[in-house]
Amino acid sequence: MHMLTNLMAQQTIWRLPEESRILFATLIVLGAFVLVLGLVPVLQTLPPRGRRAIIVTVTFLAGLFFAAEFFLPVDWTAVFPKDDPKRNFLTPAIQPAQNVLQIIGALALGLGTFGLVRLHLRNAVQRRPQWGYSIVLLVSFVVMAIFSVLNTLAEKGIVARDPLLQRGFSILFDYTLLQLDAAMFSLVAFYIFSAAYRAFRIRSVEASILMFTAMLVMIGVVPLGAYISPALPAIANWVLAYLNAPAQRAIEFGVGIGGLAMAIRLWLSLERGVT
Amino acid sequence: MQARTQSVWQRMLSIDRRWLYLILFVNIMTFLLAPIRMPASISPPVQKFYDEIEKLQPGDMVMISSNWSASTLAENQPQLEALITHLMRKQARFTIISIEAQSRDISYRLAERITKEKGYQYGEQWVHFGFVPNLVVAIKGMVNDLPNTIKQDVRGKEISKIPALQGVKSLSDYKIVIDVTPSGTVPAWISYSPKNLTILYCPTSVMAAEAYTYLDSGQIKGMITGAKGAQEYEQLLGIRGLGAPFANTISFSHLLIIFFILLGNFAMLMNRLQAR
Repeated sequence: MHMLTNLMAQQTIWRLPEESRILFATLIVLGAFVLVLGLVPVLQTLPPRGRRAIIVTVTFLAGLFFAAEFFLPVDWTAVFPKDDPKRNFLTPAIQPAQNVLQIIGALALGLGTFGLVRLHLRNAVQRRPQWGYSIVLLVSFVVMAIFSVLNTLAEKGIVARDPLLQRGFSILFDYTLLQLDAAMFSLVAFYIFSAAYRAFRIRSVEASILMFTAMLVMIGVVPLGAYISPALPAIANWVLAYLNAPAQRAIEFGVGIGGLAMAIRLWLSLERGVT
Repeated sequence: MQARTQSVWQRMLSIDRRWLYLILFVNIMTFLLAPIRMPASISPPVQKFYDEIEKLQPGDMVMISSNWSASTLAENQPQLEALITHLMRKQARFTIISIEAQSRDISYRLAERITKEKGYQYGEQWVHFGFVPNLVVAIKGMVNDLPNTIKQDVRGKEISKIPALQGVKSLSDYKIVIDVTPSGTVPAWISYSPKNLTILYCPTSVMAAEAYTYLDSGQIKGMITGAKGAQEYEQLLGIRGLGAPFANTISFSHLLIIFFILLGNFAMLMNRLQAR
């Protein structure tokens, strides 16, 4: 314990020396890999109650670390004389913990990709209904991934940026993906137009007030509003700043309290689904 | 047979939606291509945004958080283009970071094109940090230690060896953070950024209403709302960008929607009167 606190005070536990950083990092990664591989069969053999206890403990400790780092006061020089008085003894561990979070995020992305490919591969192999779309997805996925990876490597100067790669990436990214994405989103405008015509009906006093205000803001915020009357943009800005802002604040306040309650429930593993 | 007995008001109420789509499409194309350009009235959030950038001194550091993809290109691209133009005019150093995988490429290529036109040097005056998967984690990391959080730029160069970032140790060394986004990412910047940092916001129109609380409290110092905000900003800068034609189209689309809402209500009223 004394050695650990001493290492914490010197901050060497979090900041490895430059020359041995790669070796240490490799050892840590290999160690973690072996540990995880060993842990999986052990966890599988545990009864659900035992598994739940482990998950609850790890979740609580992980949450406690971030909460403690935030709420603990700074200046622990009385305990760790060499420590920076502008932070507490947990602060140096924040950066590595955040790196771990980034890695978990990237792993989740990989897991999602794996699930998607597995599902569509199964669709294609078993000739399930509409398996042709799965083939299109898989081919698009592989081709886009190859060109994107090569393009990123070319940006970093690892592979040569030849005209075929440039042209191929441009066709796939600029002329296909971006256009499809933009086209998909622009369809929303047509649905809004159709929905506004069919659903925006004056059936009560409240609906009338809402519609009148919406029309004022819609026309007041665009250049045409200023062209019709200089008063319209001023009215629209007044509605946004003095009617919209307090209402939004009330909603956000409620959402904030709800978020806090949800965070506590997650931290204490009170949410359903923790097994 | 039944369709023949329908009154004109009933037929208007049950109009095929494809006719509505066609009318909107024709309206958009007409006013996108028509040479009509109406000057915008500068809204207070855009004026404040412009004033904050004007306060920058040559060499000041600015962080652009670009988190948009092609789906909101019509609103976020004019904003980012005008913003980079203004930053180059002020000779500020700027860095771009993306939490949206697609935005990493879009913002990098867009910035590369604009800066090349004006002779702004990559690595000397601007840098792209690439894609980070978690914005909150990235902000918290950059607050403590920016070079060790980002590690490499988009071209694979070590952050500590890039001339534009000499002397930059954390987010506290920046003057302004600008969030160009269609998502609710600005609360993360407000919550975790150093207090000395000025936060500016470029949302899509649909996200702007939520931001008025932060504008009111002073946590956001200025805001460019969608394409129409970009038009106002372009007007302040005296440049001709994408904002003006897009805002023009939005103007007449709003007018069309209002007309059809009124028409729908009038048809409903007439139909009810006829039924009596």
